[in-house]
Amino acid sequence: MPDEVSPHPSRRTVVAGGLTVGVAVAAGTYLSAAGAETASAADATRSLSLIVNGERLKLAVDPRSSLLDTLRDEVGVTGPKKGCNQGACGACTVLLDGRRVLSCLTFAVLHDGQEVTTVEGLADGDRLHPVQQAFMDHDAFQCGFCTSGQIMSAVALLEEQPGITEDRIPEAMSGNLCRCAAYCNIRDAIASASDTMAKGR
Amino acid sequence: MTSRTEVPESGIGAPVNRVEARDKVTGSARYTADVRLRDMAHATVVTSTISAGRVRRIDTTRALAAPGVLTVITHRDRMPWRSTPADTGYLENRFPLADDKITYYGQHLAIVVAKNLEQSLHAASLVDIDYEVDASVPTLDEAMPDAYTANGRLIRPPWPQHLVLPPGADPQAALAGADVRTDSTYRVPHFSHVPLEPGAVVAEWSGGTLTLHDCSQDVHGHREVVAAVFGLPPERVRVLSPLVGGAFGNKTDVWGHSLLAAHAARVVRRPVKLVLSRKQVFTSTGHQPPIVQRIRLGAGREGRLAVILHDTVNATEMRGDRPEPAIISTASSYAAPVLAVDAKIAKVNIGPSISLRSPGDAPGSFALESAMDELSYRLGMDPLELRRRNHLNTDPLTGKPWSAKHLLQACELGAERFGWARRTAEPRSMREGGELVGYGMATAVRGEIPDRARAEVEIRADGTAQVRTATQEIGTGALTLVAQITAAGTGVPLGRVSVRAGDTNLPRTAGNAGSRTTGYTGSAVHLAAEKARRAAVRMAVTDPDSPLYGLADGEVEAADGRLFHRDDTKRGETYRALLARHDGKPVVAEASYTPRTSHAVATFGAHFTEVRIDPDLPRVRVTRHVAVFDVGRITNHKAARNQAQGGIVFGMGWALMEKLTPDPVSGRYVDAALTDYHIPVNADVPDIEVLFIDEPDTIAHPHGSKGMGEVVSVGVAASIANAVHHATGRRITDLPITPDKLVG
Repeated sequence: MPDEVSPHPSRRTVVAGGLTVGVAVAAGTYLSAAGAETASAADATRSLSLIVNGERLKLAVDPRSSLLDTLRDEVGVTGPKKGCNQGACGACTVLLDGRRVLSCLTFAVLHDGQEVTTVEGLADGDRLHPVQQAFMDHDAFQCGFCTSGQIMSAVALLEEQPGITEDRIPEAMSGNLCRCAAYCNIRDAIASASDTMAKGR
Repeated sequence: MTSRTEVPESGIGAPVNRVEARDKVTGSARYTADVRLRDMAHATVVTSTISAGRVRRIDTTRALAAPGVLTVITHRDRMPWRSTPADTGYLENRFPLADDKITYYGQHLAIVVAKNLEQSLHAASLVDIDYEVDASVPTLDEAMPDAYTANGRLIRPPWPQHLVLPPGADPQAALAGADVRTDSTYRVPHFSHVPLEPGAVVAEWSGGTLTLHDCSQDVHGHREVVAAVFGLPPERVRVLSPLVGGAFGNKTDVWGHSLLAAHAARVVRRPVKLVLSRKQVFTSTGHQPPIVQRIRLGAGREGRLAVILHDTVNATEMRGDRPEPAIISTASSYAAPVLAVDAKIAKVNIGPSISLRSPGDAPGSFALESAMDELSYRLGMDPLELRRRNHLNTDPLTGKPWSAKHLLQACELGAERFGWARRTAEPRSMREGGELVGYGMATAVRGEIPDRARAEVEIRADGTAQVRTATQEIGTGALTLVAQITAAGTGVPLGRVSVRAGDTNLPRTAGNAGSRTTGYTGSAVHLAAEKARRAAVRMAVTDPDSPLYGLADGEVEAADGRLFHRDDTKRGETYRALLARHDGKPVVAEASYTPRTSHAVATFGAHFTEVRIDPDLPRVRVTRHVAVFDVGRITNHKAARNQAQGGIVFGMGWALMEKLTPDPVSGRYVDAALTDYHIPVNADVPDIEVLFIDEPDTIAHPHGSKGMGEVVSVGVAASIANAVHHATGRRITDLPITPDKLVG
């Protein structure tokens, strides 16, 4: 990557054909819209090591692949969902080295060696994470498509702000859309999980 | 009668967790886009960037040369479509890639298939298209002068687009003779369904048979269309709809991308996955069209309606006639001796519209319930009292009495819980902490659209039961519903009931649309479960080795996986023991359900909303909402409450923020993204109290329950708009109610 380009280019600008950053990246790693001369680059894969839900994986990925697409298409972890692919819905939320990120907005190849936790990695065997259990018991979903992202955001929120007061939850969870609008139950579930986790501490 | 506030702990009504809940919180729930098949290729559709004209030239050279690309298909290729859209039941009046003409922005112009997703996305960007651009008619306002009564192929079941009741009445004269009149025009913009799951399909051919994993609200309906389009017998097409990530109407029909993916899979001889981008969802899977509605009410001074006139014009696509049924429930709402409704359409360069949660009724109720509120102010009468005085016990549309209607009780209960009596009538008369406070209300009615349903229930020798029906789980709790009804009917504990659904290999039932699942599929399951239990009882009472031998069938009951004597519960045996003596064979029963037609069947509701508005920065905040629904017996109080709250939030979105805006020149939606098309987020949502009348309606359906997915959204926008009027004195008649409409 040339220095003048952000070390974290948006995946969208690159995949969209490089009009914005195309000149800058044409010489290097990423694909430009210029066609033939980058054809070999486009067909190439990059090796990547990720720790996904505790398992160390060696992958060969298309360098344009988002972390989300890599998880879903290469690793086969389909809990994280693609609702908008532009960071607006939160359905793709995962933990990256313990911090919540929108996996659709970042390239997989930028995270070599890092640790990813998805909703599949929360339970301890058959024992669900308190947030998962609370989402079940409070019926904090309908179709369930946003649920993985809601749960990952909630898990991170309760890590960041243990004992968060109930009235702060709606604002903190507003980055995760739920079109079925199970919002009342989502905040009840998170408040309840927060209590459970406080008792466990 | 009082509402039952107590919730049963087990059986029908129990607030049990969803049967698929664990899958949904652990990430193992499977949706269409999660399907991965061996050698699966990835497809991307290329869509038009103009809204009117034709493709002069489409050059696929660069795309075909790009790495990993397997094929690029355009209108220049021979498409395999058979017959005509009308004969196949395909929603659009033109098959995808059928010709070079473009009638809307986002129309599919090519499908690119590559080995991986990134390759297909990249190659799609390399398809060069040269357009011949025609003048576009992008907005309803522009098209309005040419409005007409639909006369082409109608895309939904017939409903009267023009009606005068009683026939021969003179509505204009009735209006002229009324003591008090209102005359207002209401507008709703393009609304989008925005399920969180974008349309997705995985197509695979094997020996001339097509397997289509598709997010579908109706697998059998999809199969019929797909088979007809490809000229195949239906049994050569299998449609599987795993869990559906929200639908709200935009997955009721087969869309072009599913046909294209199926065709592409045959071309490349590999399974093909196609997932629409979020932007494409806005143009590829329908929307609710904009509608202009004029309502005129005439009433006597005592508050009894003399006449209702309701005229609508909605935008429709260039190639099809789809009137939005905003007038469909007007006749069934209030006791007006004279009624006239009329629906027209006007052609615009926008893609096809389709049913959106509570089609017709949601936008129609915004207009009618706003108009009733206006009339209440003209009369100086409480809006709730006005509704009481115009209550209907018989449906004027059909002339039949309703199977059950507890709307007045719903109104009383809601008013009490909400504290409606605290409302002072004068607009701007209630303030708290510097904010304007407004109370509004509206009622809701949604007529049922009958359908047939079928299900199969099996009681097995291992003590379990299985229910099989081709219903889909779109988030409404369908799987849990059929499991609970099976458990109740057979006496097999819920935890031992399994469900198979979402597959054309299973019995065809009503699509999960039009609030049909609970009433129709639920009834078929109820009948099948009863039939299975009765068959097992018959086996027991005729089996000399059974402790129940010799009893009359009616003396035997079932619970906890066991059949027993009604009056001596110790006398009995388990299904397991009974079936073990009969070669371990299961008892299988299938049932079909067709509703009776002696009564009109509808669901009802009453909404009460509190809004708070800063007078200087008039952003509307809904701070409280109380709703009471009359939908028969509740099958699962937990899921029902959730669905009701969700429907109310849906209505909040329409009322306050949702809007798709066509660019007035190009016809391109300027806000086709979740960053611009705003739907409610967690912090937008107040406490929502939901109550149910919870009285079985066994005239409507044998198990006494009716579907509620739509009625819960009906009336919400009006209730909010009426509260905004009460708070501010401003009557906003065009949705959404954004701050700019309240400034100044």
